[in-house]
Amino acid sequence: MRVYILKRLLQIIPTILGITFVVFVMMRSIPGDPVVSLLGDAYTEENAIKARQDYGLDKPVLLQYVIWLGKLVQGDWGTSILSGRPVLKDVLVRLPVTLELVVLSMAVALAIAIPAAIIGALRQNTWADYTATSVAMVGVSVPEFFLGVLLLLLFSIGMGGFLPSSGWVYLPGTCQTVVCAASLWGNTQHVLMPALALGVGRAALLTRLLRASMLEVIRTEYVTTARAKGLSERPVVLKHALKNALIPTVTVMGLQVGFLIGGAIVVETLFAMPGLGTFGIDAIIARDYQQVQGFALVTALTFVFINLIVDLTYTFLDPRIRYS
Amino acid sequence: MRSTRPLLNLVLGTGLLLSLIVAPATKAQTPKRGGILKVSYGNEIAHLDFHTAPGYEMMWVAMNVGCGLVDIMPDGKFVGDAAEAWQVSSDGLLYTFKLKPNVLFHDGTKVDAAAVKFSIERLMDPATGSGMRTFYESVHSVEALDPSTVQIRLKHPYAFMLHMLAGYRTGLIIYSPTATQKFTLEDRKQGKPGAVVGCGPFKLVEWVKGSHLVMDRFDKYFQPGLPYLDRVIIRVIKDPITEMAAFKAGEVDFIASFSPEHVDTMKAQNPRALMMTGKETTPMLAAMRVTIPKDGKPMSKERVPHPIFNDIRVRKAVGCYGIDRKEIVKIAFKGQATPWVGIIPPGTLDTVDVTSMCPYDQAKAKALLAEAGYGPQKPLTFELMTNTEKSVFNVIATVIKEQMARIGVTANIRLVDKVTWMTAANQDGPWDMYVEDLLSLLTLDSNAFLSTTGASWNHTRHTDTKVDDYYARYAREMDPVRRKAIAREFQEFSADKLYWNAISGSPFYMVAQPWIKGYTYNAEFEVHYDKVWLDK
Repeated sequence: MRVYILKRLLQIIPTILGITFVVFVMMRSIPGDPVVSLLGDAYTEENAIKARQDYGLDKPVLLQYVIWLGKLVQGDWGTSILSGRPVLKDVLVRLPVTLELVVLSMAVALAIAIPAAIIGALRQNTWADYTATSVAMVGVSVPEFFLGVLLLLLFSIGMGGFLPSSGWVYLPGTCQTVVCAASLWGNTQHVLMPALALGVGRAALLTRLLRASMLEVIRTEYVTTARAKGLSERPVVLKHALKNALIPTVTVMGLQVGFLIGGAIVVETLFAMPGLGTFGIDAIIARDYQQVQGFALVTALTFVFINLIVDLTYTFLDPRIRYS
Repeated sequence: MRSTRPLLNLVLGTGLLLSLIVAPATKAQTPKRGGILKVSYGNEIAHLDFHTAPGYEMMWVAMNVGCGLVDIMPDGKFVGDAAEAWQVSSDGLLYTFKLKPNVLFHDGTKVDAAAVKFSIERLMDPATGSGMRTFYESVHSVEALDPSTVQIRLKHPYAFMLHMLAGYRTGLIIYSPTATQKFTLEDRKQGKPGAVVGCGPFKLVEWVKGSHLVMDRFDKYFQPGLPYLDRVIIRVIKDPITEMAAFKAGEVDFIASFSPEHVDTMKAQNPRALMMTGKETTPMLAAMRVTIPKDGKPMSKERVPHPIFNDIRVRKAVGCYGIDRKEIVKIAFKGQATPWVGIIPPGTLDTVDVTSMCPYDQAKAKALLAEAGYGPQKPLTFELMTNTEKSVFNVIATVIKEQMARIGVTANIRLVDKVTWMTAANQDGPWDMYVEDLLSLLTLDSNAFLSTTGASWNHTRHTDTKVDDYYARYAREMDPVRRKAIAREFQEFSADKLYWNAISGSPFYMVAQPWIKGYTYNAEFEVHYDKVWLDK
């Protein structure tokens, strides 16, 4: 197992190099000059030339990448061209917000998907199954931003500010700012609508997937044997069927993390959350190359590590799986 | 004879009712101290070096954390900020400012003549890279005559010196020499505690990019009793729908710049909200490129005519007679703007309405195009660049495309993001026409920044030095009557040449909750929270 983990960790290096290189080159290939954003009304040819020199943007792209990589190895993620702030510092402030959103969205998705899939599979072709399948179809079809606006209209505007429409209250222990509220209740109020907006779409997908797996598993011989042995329906479904049916679902969950981080860009913008999503989109819009690199790096790392955890989860779900 | 009793009763009753209404209102008008003002900005603050950071959002922070010499009021009158009094010599070359004795920076050091000299010289230093440097071109030197007297000597008379100090790029911000030398530029840009030291009513507590900015009351502020608020928290909410929801739910007290497209919805949702606006001071443009680089290299000094819009007949056909400004305003702004042609918008000082010089006239537009060699045999096609910063730009571009089709011209819309537009426009890149509102203009003089031949922001790259002459004559003329005459002549000249093609004014809105009191609206130029108090 240790060797497997080590191998997987080593595989991260070329993955990260590949992703960061592609992002680095692509950002410099699209139109728009970060110096224009930086200088604003102070834009003159002379100021632009000086700024390009200051930020090393006058060097060949490959050399710029090597310099960035060299600094990264030393723990320096670079400095934002626009704000002059260290990228790592900003990433560390924003990462907990997005991680919490992603984890809670997945929790929302599972909280909806697991019961819906079980009901759908056990009561196949009944009204309960049709309802679960239809709701899943609607959930897949509704984009996050639209659902987010509907939630805003319902819980914020319609219910007189029952849930806050925007902003963020940090979880205790994650707040790195001088002036910040940090309370569990405040945090829950702020994260509920974004997590629902982001999680419902995933719930729909997972419901459909898990229902199909469950239908397959409940027809297998070992489930029939379990029932024949006189086990009640509850342990048969939860212990024998669900656990095995979860394996493909867990794989998809890992892959869905990428989509969740992508979806977080939209949801964080809509709910004005200071997370990585808004950090990334602002960086791309302003052509803040260093911040974009930081965003790509942390997104890739998160994705890779979560998928590693997913792979390791298989051994828990199915003890027959062994990594060597 | 009719009894007078009912009349008497009515008078007494009305009097009683009025006294009930007026008395609490009068009481309520006494400012209350304390509370937190929650402000929403639609755009992120770039950084906190006040002399160089781009964007109005940063400036609205700067004028509350910092102080300057003078402020300008909505009626155009100047009031002292750190300056107690000022004198202008009869030849217009010497501006002498007497500073208030009790003005302190947030680090406790005194705001004196040396600090003012330091700040102006910092702005004038090319190494600082401030966009304001061009307006200090007329300054010969700054001298600290004594600790409380500073004198600015000009090379030539400059009629807009006070306007510039008060409201160009929202005015001079005095820097603390001690703090500026103690901290690095990077520290200041990042808003490190202690590095951003101002002399304004609020001191910076914290700026977390992408999240919030917090300012607390500066207890030693030189205006006795001000500010009323304990704290101002600024949050960035980019989505107008979310901004409206936050406002409706009372999460936001004040929206510093509200999207004009959503004004009607905001009014319907919040009938008691204070919608603040005024005469437009920002022009909406359909700029037409006049020259391009001869050698194809951007910013080349060698210019050749733009193949389409260098021809004045085409400029006039397309930009003057071919554009129905009223229709654009009706569709894009729901009638909430003024159709306009002049080089400066309706709310700018010394503006002249020359819109009648460009009536919508399809026949005249077609005739001019035919004269220039365009017609069914050789149809005119150009690219119309617009950007994603504001949805209204795209609506305007779409209407222009439709209007162009009516005169047989094809306008191909190219939608880009803001940075791509800015790069193309500032760096002499490829474009024919763009739609944008550039800068809020306090005076005609301030537009020199965008339209003299040598200006970096002269996007059309016209090379007509008559424009420069007009600006110079206007700015150096100290007699207001003669200055107005020059302004009129210049605006007529400009409408005739169309180097600068305005479509309309661009309305600006601020929104406040009904409990916000004491705020004085002065467009983008002065956004001060020092006299604001919360009536709740």
